[in-house]
Amino acid sequence: MNTHETQAAQVFLAHHDFVRGVALKYAPWPGLMEDIAQQVFLEFMAKESQWDLSTDARPLLATMTRHIAMRQWRERTRQQPEVVQKLADHIRLLAEEREAPPRYEEEISVLRNCLQKLPEKSRELVELYYYNDIGTPQIADQINMKADTVCRALSRVREKLRECIERSSTQGGPAHA
Amino acid sequence: MLDSDTLIQHYLEGTLSDAEAEQLHDLLKAQPEIGERLLQQFDMDAMLHATKPLVASNIIRPALLPKRRFTFATVTSVAAMAACIALLGAWVLNEVLQLRPEAEETTASVAVLTRGVNLEWESAAITPGTPLSPGWLKLKSGIAQIEFYQGARVLIEGPAELQLVSSGEATCTRGKLSAQVPPQAKGFRINTPKGTIVDLGTEFGLDVSAANEEVHVFKGEVELHQPALTMKSLKEGQAMAIAGNTAMLAANASSFASLNEIDARSAMSQRFQFEKWLASSAKVNADPGLRLRFDFQDDEGSRSLRNHAVNGSQIADGSIVGASWTTGRWPGKRALEFRNVSDRVRLNIPGETKSLTLAVWVRVNGLDRSFNSLFMSERWGDRKVHWQITRDGRVRLGVAGGAGASHADHDTPVLFTPERFGRWTHLAVVFDPVTKEVRHYANGELLTRSALKSTEPLKIGIAELGNWNDRPTGGVAIRHLSGAMDEFALWDRALSDAEISTLAK
Repeated sequence: MNTHETQAAQVFLAHHDFVRGVALKYAPWPGLMEDIAQQVFLEFMAKESQWDLSTDARPLLATMTRHIAMRQWRERTRQQPEVVQKLADHIRLLAEEREAPPRYEEEISVLRNCLQKLPEKSRELVELYYYNDIGTPQIADQINMKADTVCRALSRVREKLRECIERSSTQGGPAHA
Repeated sequence: MLDSDTLIQHYLEGTLSDAEAEQLHDLLKAQPEIGERLLQQFDMDAMLHATKPLVASNIIRPALLPKRRFTFATVTSVAAMAACIALLGAWVLNEVLQLRPEAEETTASVAVLTRGVNLEWESAAITPGTPLSPGWLKLKSGIAQIEFYQGARVLIEGPAELQLVSSGEATCTRGKLSAQVPPQAKGFRINTPKGTIVDLGTEFGLDVSAANEEVHVFKGEVELHQPALTMKSLKEGQAMAIAGNTAMLAANASSFASLNEIDARSAMSQRFQFEKWLASSAKVNADPGLRLRFDFQDDEGSRSLRNHAVNGSQIADGSIVGASWTTGRWPGKRALEFRNVSDRVRLNIPGETKSLTLAVWVRVNGLDRSFNSLFMSERWGDRKVHWQITRDGRVRLGVAGGAGASHADHDTPVLFTPERFGRWTHLAVVFDPVTKEVRHYANGELLTRSALKSTEPLKIGIAELGNWNDRPTGGVAIRHLSGAMDEFALWDRALSDAEISTLAK
């Protein structure tokens, strides 16, 4: 890589979480966020010679991310049955109509602290589902619970983490779940 | 009817049925507050996926393994029987055949560089996959992930200086690092100019700058040893300056690179390199001296390799025999794996050539044969060409003599040692009648040059990648490659050092 390319890569990486946040807003489809972030990186790097890296890259990255997010969201959802497409449309509109700007960037670092404060059982559930990639039916099977119960438990864990992040941001101090 | 939490979970998990999608859609329309709840759950779900540490994927909890057909006792009984049979077999062989074991190969390495993002080193470049021996690593910029053989994983962020001492110890004199130490690596030590951190099976960060040194414990416990001071114990969530003000602080995990971040960044970096390679392919193909280029990006399942050289119409596509498709240098890049005695790619290079350059990206898994083929003319004699790796790891260009003259072998020093096995290496060789020499290159760097005995034109003819055919039937010497290739090119001109260096980037 030449120096400008290296600088461009560093600028992107410094805004990686910002890009992820914008991607979530414009493409609320499971598993799409990382694909969008990667594509933004590729397109940002492909035109790196055009960018003035001394200025704030956020407006540029936000525009690129929005375009790519919408493109990828369309590609992904149009493979779905019509009834799922309608649901996806509805969810995307809800996400776009949200007034609050994406807060992924600030929240992801707080989330790590909140995870450490989770009760042991909740943390185990997070590890099984998110880190060991075990689906809810398999978790339910192994711990002799109904699949619906596991779904609700995961939902509660996410809710607790959300509360922890919000408490942390209003207190401005360390988070406690 | 499922409740909204279950429907939302199915949406996040991608398992929503059509009926469930319709039900969720109706709920969203009837109760707008469920929409906000879904979006909050969606955001949190994405963030939780992003916090996945790399190490977690290796943890398989016994309780969640598929139910086994064999008990532990059965497995140990079978293993014990197998061991007895193996021991008996070895004894019989040694006693009857009087075999003596060869001197075993050894390695000085204590760790391996497993990943890197935008790495710039102060000394020679070190690429992911490289085993690391004790000594200094001086990183100018980027993030490197090092796995010590005792099991500790360390991320260093440039600029940083780290001295590897052993498979369980290192010294950091500058920069930031974070370490993840599984229970089996308990006791892993990091020395700094002002003290020593002994890990008790945990995760911690260390920031060594000129002004200060701080240790942050994210999980578990570490011991901090300093000269003339009592040992201090730091627990999860605590941080402390190693010298000066030793008041306890709150650990700050977000100021250190995480394994998950390097995973995401290295994936992007690899994708970027792949795209760059794709973009540069058209220029390489258009070189008038290029007669053959296989990029190995043919459709998976294809049994031929397309020749992409614009000026290569005289050379037909290669025909794959036996070899199977595998992953190449980057995720998404294809390669051919040569494993079996039958695996090869057959091709025909008609006519004669005065000059020749060959280049290949190859991953050598082992040197099982006396001669391990890269690219070899069928049979031998009359200016045919054999490009191969000898069992002791030298790359050899053999050129057969014409009209009864003797052949010439042009060898490199030993290149393929066990440390290089399993890693992608770019090899090139140039037959240059103008300078009257053969030049060998590895990863774009000139390895050796040797004088030509004869500058007579070469006649490649029918040839094979990854194997050799010396006769039509019976008693064929086995010289197949154990490894993979993901790019091969042939020019009828001598490429310069700079051109070879560009190809290897």
